[in-house]
Amino acid sequence: MKIHREEARRVAGLAHLELDDAGLDRMADEMTKILSYIDQLRDADVDDVTEPEVVATPLREDEPRPSLDRDSVARNAPAWRDGLFVVPKVIGGE
Amino acid sequence: MSDILELPWTEARGQVSPREYVDACFRAIDERDGALHAFLHVDRDAAEGALPMAIKDNIVTTGTPTTCASHILRDFVSPFDATAVTRLRANGAAIVGKANLDEFAMGSSTEHSAFGVTRNPWDLERVAGGSSGGSAAAVAARMVPVALGSETGGSVRQPAAFCGVVGLKPTYGRVSRWGLVAFASGLDQIGVVTKTTRDCAEVLGIIAGHDPLDSTSSTHPVDDYAADLDKGVKGMRFGVVREALEHLEGEVRANFDAAVDVLRRGGAIVEEVSVPSIGYAIAIYYIVANAEASANLSRFDGIRYGHRSERARTLDEVYFDSRGEGFGPEVKRRIMLGTFALSSGYYDAYYGRAQAVRAKMRHDFARAFERCDFLITPTTPEAPFRIGEKSEDPLSMYLSDIFTAPANLVGIPALAVPSGFDLRGLPLSLQIMGRHFEERAIFRAAAFYEAETQYWKAQPRIVAAKGAAQT
Repeated sequence: MKIHREEARRVAGLAHLELDDAGLDRMADEMTKILSYIDQLRDADVDDVTEPEVVATPLREDEPRPSLDRDSVARNAPAWRDGLFVVPKVIGGE
Repeated sequence: MSDILELPWTEARGQVSPREYVDACFRAIDERDGALHAFLHVDRDAAEGALPMAIKDNIVTTGTPTTCASHILRDFVSPFDATAVTRLRANGAAIVGKANLDEFAMGSSTEHSAFGVTRNPWDLERVAGGSSGGSAAAVAARMVPVALGSETGGSVRQPAAFCGVVGLKPTYGRVSRWGLVAFASGLDQIGVVTKTTRDCAEVLGIIAGHDPLDSTSSTHPVDDYAADLDKGVKGMRFGVVREALEHLEGEVRANFDAAVDVLRRGGAIVEEVSVPSIGYAIAIYYIVANAEASANLSRFDGIRYGHRSERARTLDEVYFDSRGEGFGPEVKRRIMLGTFALSSGYYDAYYGRAQAVRAKMRHDFARAFERCDFLITPTTPEAPFRIGEKSEDPLSMYLSDIFTAPANLVGIPALAVPSGFDLRGLPLSLQIMGRHFEERAIFRAAAFYEAETQYWKAQPRIVAAKGAAQT
């Protein structure tokens, strides 16, 4: 599977990663190499496999319990005001 | 008294006071960590404790930063402890420091740490392995008796092998992951690094068990993991994975054959078994793990914690620029691969196919375990490599995990135990894999091999040369 710059750009957009053109080209080359190794999975014989037993994650009771105190959350926040995270304006931007 | 740090934890703890034990660790760190860089933070104010230890820096601890060796979390201090840490503290643990790792545990050498590589205590020009390279080097260099690491595809066992110490990946779900920064949630598991199997068994006993805060932690009863350490291997059945041997070069193969002889002399039955799909492990791993990572790492968005780009003016720029600036190249590469594998048009061909072959591997392992109590391989296909040797070739780095990744994909426990040295004096290691939740049996087998060979007593030159950290 050959990855081109435009495909890398599409994926970087989905992943919310800023990459310049040189970075996209490098990434496309590396992804191409790694995916060509991964392509061997096509050759695997999986015909005799029955679906494995599914062990479901147990659910817990939905009971209230204490959450983190706001001061400890605020200490790690990049921008914080009046008990809220601050972000750039989302609607009707700059 | 000889250096207390040369002894296994389970012997040393009765011989010194908690204060002396912790202070001995600080002296050893002062003497050796400048050369090794196993630690990202050392907590001089650590409470004294009869279990001084290092915690991999992707497991959250109050009182010290938790950076995941990433710029995106370089200032992060967790408001809570991981459950494993809480349980250890309740049993006398003193967290003397946080151990280096590949950024977000993505790597096999710690060369992907944003804060510099950890060097191998046996040869400073070589890698300590990864991603838990700091944890393994800290124990190998006798700076702490015990360390926690984490595993997604071999990140405890591979560095334990490279550093000549014991490393355990427990059964998936055996140890709570509350407070382990998520990489690939279908594979991640906290693991233990120690000098001896007895130390490892006792530490697992502390951290194992169900945790209401981690719904994927198992309710399977916790075993007495050290109960059978002296019982030997007579009559136990070991399967040598035939397909694994095909990859081996001379010295690693000879070392493995010697380990098989030790088991046979103890009365074990050793025979070849086939696990036909084992060669697909790395290909499956890099789809499944990266797909899950691409989702898990979406939480690092510059909004609630972690790095926020100073140049960002819009919300999209906060996301794109904070992540672009904060993540290193290997993390970006994996997020890209994972996002690609899950994206429209490729999902069935990559993620779906990888899960199908993974099911085949589970099936193959189950069949092998009908005939054998254990499966054994070398832990790694080669001795520790040179710093820089593989850093330009991601795929060759990935193949370092070829024998360890299967246990993560299948969910079984596996342990790396030192098996001697190659002609250059570099550590080699034997891997013992067992059935789900049969850690106790693995410890029994490993303890027999360890007692017969005593490789754990060998000390890297950086310890033996100076030895100034006497108590």
